[in-house]
Amino acid sequence: MEATRQIYWNVGHSVVIPMYLMAFAAFGWMAWGFWQRLPIWRLGKALDRFDRYDERIKRMIAEVFSQVKIYRVTDGGVFHAIFFWSFLILFAGTMLVMVQADFFTPLLQVNVLSGEFYKIFSLALDVAGILALIMLAGLFIRRFVVQPKGLEIVKDDYIVLQLLFAILITGFLTEGVRIAATELQQNPALAKFSPGGLLVAQIFASMTPGTQQVVHQILWWLHFVLVLGFFCAVPYTKLRHIFTTAANAFLAPFEPKGSIANINLEDESAEQFGASTIADMTWKDIFDADACTSCKRCQDRCPAHTTDKPLSPMRVVKQIGELAESNPGGSLIEAVSQEALWSCTTCRACQDVCPANIEHVNKILEMRRNLTLMEGVFPGDEVRTAVSNIEINGNPFGLAYAARGEWVAGLPVSLMEQDSDVDILYFVGCYASFDKRNQAIAKNFIKICAAAGIKVGILGKEEKCCGEPVRKLGNEYLYQMTATENIQMIKAYAVKKIVTTCPHCFNTLARDYKDLGLDIPVEHYSTYIHALLQSGRLSLTPDPFSFTYHDSCYLGRYMDIIEQPRAILANAGGVITEMAKNGYDSFCCSAGGGRIIAEEKLGSKISEVRITMATETGAPLLVSNCPFCLSMFEDGIKTGGAEGQLQVRDLAEIVAERITR
Amino acid sequence: MKLLVCIKQVPDMESRFKPDASGIWYNEADLAFRMNEYDEYAVEQAVQLREKLGEGSELTVLSIGPDRVVEAIKKALAMGCDNAVHVQDTAASAKDPWQIASIIAGYAKDKSFDVIFTGMQSQDRGSAQVGVTVAELLGVACTTTIVGFAYDNGVITAKRELEGGIKGAVTLNTPALVTCQLGLNVPRYPTLPNIMKAKKKEITAIPAADLTTSESLAATTSFHPPAKKGGGIVLEGDVGELVDKVIAILKDKTAVLR
Repeated sequence: MEATRQIYWNVGHSVVIPMYLMAFAAFGWMAWGFWQRLPIWRLGKALDRFDRYDERIKRMIAEVFSQVKIYRVTDGGVFHAIFFWSFLILFAGTMLVMVQADFFTPLLQVNVLSGEFYKIFSLALDVAGILALIMLAGLFIRRFVVQPKGLEIVKDDYIVLQLLFAILITGFLTEGVRIAATELQQNPALAKFSPGGLLVAQIFASMTPGTQQVVHQILWWLHFVLVLGFFCAVPYTKLRHIFTTAANAFLAPFEPKGSIANINLEDESAEQFGASTIADMTWKDIFDADACTSCKRCQDRCPAHTTDKPLSPMRVVKQIGELAESNPGGSLIEAVSQEALWSCTTCRACQDVCPANIEHVNKILEMRRNLTLMEGVFPGDEVRTAVSNIEINGNPFGLAYAARGEWVAGLPVSLMEQDSDVDILYFVGCYASFDKRNQAIAKNFIKICAAAGIKVGILGKEEKCCGEPVRKLGNEYLYQMTATENIQMIKAYAVKKIVTTCPHCFNTLARDYKDLGLDIPVEHYSTYIHALLQSGRLSLTPDPFSFTYHDSCYLGRYMDIIEQPRAILANAGGVITEMAKNGYDSFCCSAGGGRIIAEEKLGSKISEVRITMATETGAPLLVSNCPFCLSMFEDGIKTGGAEGQLQVRDLAEIVAERITR
Repeated sequence: MKLLVCIKQVPDMESRFKPDASGIWYNEADLAFRMNEYDEYAVEQAVQLREKLGEGSELTVLSIGPDRVVEAIKKALAMGCDNAVHVQDTAASAKDPWQIASIIAGYAKDKSFDVIFTGMQSQDRGSAQVGVTVAELLGVACTTTIVGFAYDNGVITAKRELEGGIKGAVTLNTPALVTCQLGLNVPRYPTLPNIMKAKKKEITAIPAADLTTSESLAATTSFHPPAKKGGGIVLEGDVGELVDKVIAILKDKTAVLR
């Protein structure tokens, strides 16, 4: 017997017209649901996210179909990905049936759903259906039985899970009756290619053909109506994410990670800075709330949230959406709370892990800009002092600006104002310039450069804070003032390359200063030293040591520099034991987002949490390559009681000790 | 109502001070300048009063010095002063408090200011004379080192800080001058729209010579760092001996055991 099946068996071709009419009605209902969201999205400011169309489409297709961002977090993610692929097969199969029944058969008189292909088709759909059911059961158990911390259960979860179960089960039941009536006796060899349907068919095998037909008709319609219900529910439930989250893969920015829109300070007509109401946000910021699936991955990784501070990146995203819907004129900052806004370290863990491409960090920055530029608010008096210190002396400590270059005494370093014919300009930064502990980074970096025959110049008292902490606290005005002065100073010399030992300076000079007109290559010393080792200009004599490595947020997540520091340390004789949270999943030291100049008054200390993670590796040494991280960890080791158990050192210190003489 | 606040731009106290060539004041090279801390309290209080009085009142900020003081004036304007007077004087640091006060009084005498605010002293010279002398020259009431300020219908009620943390209350009828002390308020951080607006506010420049009427009464003759003190002492030896040594030093050099 031929391997195929009669489409519209038992329901007849007379269903075609009402079926299509109902389907179109459901699609119309769905489209209407999304259409109604448009005015809410449009409350936001304009933002062009429709350029580079082909690249956006490619990225969307790649991200959606690969599910790569979903299964990156295995908990929930693997179930979702397999469910997605299974459902996709079911959807594609159904579309193929539609094309066969209503186009190929009537118009071309060919049947592709026959023979060997039909067997594969039938088996694929059955397996997909079974897998989808198993995954759905897994997701159900996860949400309602296991209940991971922070996972909310809302009305949508009941609706969506029930609907999906019902669709899959009625699908198998309908198939089962049909197989019982048409294959079980007539073509048992073919029935084997529908393992799920074959199993279910046993329930109906003993029924009379008449009963089978009635039951089949009822189930067929029930299945069909449930599927229509699914489409209708999309815009009104979490199912909307099928479209909105996918759309976000299209809408995600192409700018380098960490890009922040410059405020035009020349525009004298501007009276509103930062975001105080929904109208100050972009439409994408509002859309993001619709793309959020409340998977709470951001919240799980937020260093502020996990140390009991009043910030959840997920809540912030949701609060913006809720305000846009309920009270668009209302105060954003009241809705989110100042304490939540100031708690952010801009570590980007939320944004990096978000499967929906939501841009959390810049939303927080826009609200901080409003607080700082429009209200003159600070997270604390110590921040007010530090900001005023940066204004006056160009460093947060308030130390004499003229003393900025004093750490070089006795070292082979040129002051640019005296001799600017150098290989690299070392932008030292405030911490390595003024802070005793961090001066070791600068001094050792000079030693390393000297060993490699690199002539280093510094700006000395002509250098100022790069402006990163104040910018991240929202003070765009002070940032642009200091940045512009630094840029003018650097441009006054024929600088070939700038190297920094601070990831914050590095991000700011390499990316943000570009927007203000600095177009000189900027490197972090991790990659610079790595290149010196690779080229053979620098060689190390390995001296074995055991360590764990902390990825600075602004080096790893922001700049994708993950392997090079590890390679340097391996070259130096280091044997690494990784912390569970490393690389892109690294856990902030607490000092990003301008928090370096703020006291940590809420919740527990982030640095101590990270120190605990480091001690858990059993390694006696923690290596970092950021002055902020080093400062925080020196502090965390003391206050967290890890003295004698763990030591923190900078990459430059490790390398300098092993230079081959 | 007309309000005046007098401010001075001073070097940041963390700066490395060196005597100038003549040895009677500091060398300005490598110094970072800022608004005198006490004058920031004065500006804040003046702006608060200006905001309370609303339309019809006017707050002028005045500063004496070279062009660099315009930075401090701009900050005061961004904080909320309405207009400014820059008394241009490249030799302001050579003038004594009497002369400075005379210049201010010379400017203010025909302006009928109702309330004048100054810092209680400057961070660099620290004479604490300018405010009170201005009041004297103008013949208006004056109170100093205020840590609380209220104005109602022509009467100022000021809280003053006395020795040992004791507070006193003073009432003055306007016109009056007050000098402001730490603790009076928290100076506001200028908002960006106000910084932008301040750029358009008027700064009247007056050459100091036009207002200078008197000679210096007290001449500064020398500016020098303190003589170096002896270094620390490291005591070594037996604990019993160490205790005796410490007691001997404490008796000899300090008052704690007397």
